[in-house]
Amino acid sequence: MTPLAGSVALNLALGFSIISIVSLSIYTSNNDERINLLGHRSALASSFLVFLSTFILSYQLMISNFDIDYVARYTSFETPTMYKISALWAGQSGSLLFWLFILSIFSVIVILQNQTKHHKLMPWIVISISVVQIFFLVLTNFITNPFKPTDTDFVIQNGNGLNPLLQNLTMAIHPPTLYLGYVGLTVPFAFAFSALVNKDLGSLWIKSIRRWTLISWLFLSIGIILGGWWAYQELGWGGYWAWDPVENASFMPWLTLTAFLHSIIIQEKSGMLRFWNMILIFITFTLTIFGTFLTRSGVMSSVHSFTESSLGPVFLSFVFFLLIVSFALIYIRKDHLKSAKKIESFASREGGFLLNNVIFVVLCFAVFWGTIFPVVSEAVRGTKITVGAPFFNQINTPIGLILLGLTGVGPLLAWRKTSNEKIKNNFFLPTLISGILFFILMALGYDAYVVISFSLCLFVIIAIYMEFYKGAKSRIVRFNESFFVALYKIISKNRSRYGGYIVHVGIVLMFVGFTGNAFDIEKEFGLKKGSSEFVGDYEFLLTDITEEERPNHYAWISHIRLLDSQGNIVEDLYPEKRVYFHENPDINKRQPHSEIDIHSTMNLDIYSIFSAIDANGTAFLKIMINPLVKWVWIGGYVLVLGTMIALWPRKEL
Amino acid sequence: MIAGAVCVTIFWISWVTIFPSDKTAMSMFVSVEELLDKQISKRTKLGGLVKTGSIQISESNQLNCDFILKEGESELSVRYTKTRPDLFKDGAEVIVSGQLMNGTFYADELQTKCASRYEGDLRNENNYKLTELVQ
Repeated sequence: MTPLAGSVALNLALGFSIISIVSLSIYTSNNDERINLLGHRSALASSFLVFLSTFILSYQLMISNFDIDYVARYTSFETPTMYKISALWAGQSGSLLFWLFILSIFSVIVILQNQTKHHKLMPWIVISISVVQIFFLVLTNFITNPFKPTDTDFVIQNGNGLNPLLQNLTMAIHPPTLYLGYVGLTVPFAFAFSALVNKDLGSLWIKSIRRWTLISWLFLSIGIILGGWWAYQELGWGGYWAWDPVENASFMPWLTLTAFLHSIIIQEKSGMLRFWNMILIFITFTLTIFGTFLTRSGVMSSVHSFTESSLGPVFLSFVFFLLIVSFALIYIRKDHLKSAKKIESFASREGGFLLNNVIFVVLCFAVFWGTIFPVVSEAVRGTKITVGAPFFNQINTPIGLILLGLTGVGPLLAWRKTSNEKIKNNFFLPTLISGILFFILMALGYDAYVVISFSLCLFVIIAIYMEFYKGAKSRIVRFNESFFVALYKIISKNRSRYGGYIVHVGIVLMFVGFTGNAFDIEKEFGLKKGSSEFVGDYEFLLTDITEEERPNHYAWISHIRLLDSQGNIVEDLYPEKRVYFHENPDINKRQPHSEIDIHSTMNLDIYSIFSAIDANGTAFLKIMINPLVKWVWIGGYVLVLGTMIALWPRKEL
Repeated sequence: MIAGAVCVTIFWISWVTIFPSDKTAMSMFVSVEELLDKQISKRTKLGGLVKTGSIQISESNQLNCDFILKEGESELSVRYTKTRPDLFKDGAEVIVSGQLMNGTFYADELQTKCASRYEGDLRNENNYKLTELVQ
């Protein structure tokens, strides 16, 4: 009975969304406030019905009602309660409902916050959000319904259970974080669309969405970093980023959104780039839908499997619908989007931002190209050519380094125009110091990319330091404050600017970590108890292999003593080989899993994988020495800190 | 300047597409049948199922593994000598990359179906079809 209620709630939600769109469209021509109210209330009703059906599905997951196909597929009686809830976003139909759930939360917030504040913009904002809502409601109602009952042919005693790889805290929170970022972008999109329809194209809409955009960016960033962290800790191939289509799907909107965050600063300051900002936000939003399409339609495995699921064509149609409607509207309003001013000089902050934008978009295009290349090659030439990580690395490394350099150059340029004298003054110190590092590293014979990357990192750090120093120094002189008080004051008085610089520091630290990839060492070998092997400067001594039976798996544990070149003990590592569901009589249902162990320091990570054990007790190990990886995660923390500072609410004056 | 930057990058992207620096950067995805018919010796990528009972792991070195990749009716013997992914087992859906030499496919990459697309079949030891109950 209750599952039916969930299904009916979804039906009704679709109905209310349609009522909302129709009545708000009528309102825009007849201005009858009652119709306006009806439209808003229907949108709220639709959202509450989505909440209801999400709660119903979560409850069914909790009580293991295997009459629902989704519950039987992703959970079992044994699944821990926490993962019964996270199963809500483990599968296709559930994750689409979850997406809708977040969108509905945002829709309610937007309506309650802005109903009076942005009375004129609201009808079209709500219409835009409702269109997106209708799309997901159509999917969950007609194409992949999460409340679909189990096949009546089957007697279900127990469900399948959740994949052990997904039974991990990071993996439970990674998808919701990404979704918050993805779905949050619907709001800036809706504001942009409404501003365009209403010809209200100043900086008002930009001001109202700055916070939404930044929060979405933060969640998207955290989601991407968590995904990498999970891959590094759990998947056991020693890396955190593989340029997999699923990863690219989240990275592409992140790139265009980052560009957008920079270019709206110019629109706020000087009213320029209106046209460009519209295009950026529409592309970003479309990329979030396209990303979901990539990961959910099966198009990546083959163009042919694409049509097997009806999800693919529906998604693609929506992507085209969004592109056509958005760009048609931009075209109609092109005269209103013209800016009065032009950029005066390329050696200016505006010029730097513009170049940064172009490069972000180019980088996004390069990722897009590599991602769709297999599909394009199959469609055009009949043979599918797949591209791997080396392709992406080769294309993106130089582009990424240019961006890194711009991160340092940008703050050194003045608004409007930078005088030659100022260029000399500002660039002298960073160029000198990073230049020295450049020649030292060259002399030591490092690879060109490594030398360039580290020198640029130092350049950016010095440039940012100078910004903080200059700001603080002027306060020290004027108000006679101590350095730290002055530093605190400049940050708190100009949060978005200095928060932004801190984010840049985070990015630089991440680049330090990425550059460490160039020094990776990897070795696979077999060891008997008591014997050892050398990898890099380290010795790996297998002291023991033990076995242990635990509640849901059986584990072989290898005890590896890690010794440095002087023979000192560094750490004992315990990578494990596990078999989940080991009591299952059907050998095919047992699932092996390698639990890695990492010795992690600021300098390098020593990553150990226990691949196999043979009948004679020889352990087969894979050891990787990955320098500087930790800086990627540290950079991630700094990035979050910087964004939080930028987001921290200002005291209303 | 903007136009210049765009031109340079378009040139760069096409350059890398046509002349990738690493041989593993691009591989042709072919079917097992096509590979055997044409005896393609270039680097290729293949998909298929691990034939049940075909996995043979060397006694002396656990990393040396031979198995038969099955795609439809075609079969191909594959040798892989690196750490195998956890989901590699009889009947698993795998993608291998490598080269064909003297009838054996030497794979240097072996991927199993991605964990995030773990869509289980409801048929397991607990559950059975009603029609099976009648028989």
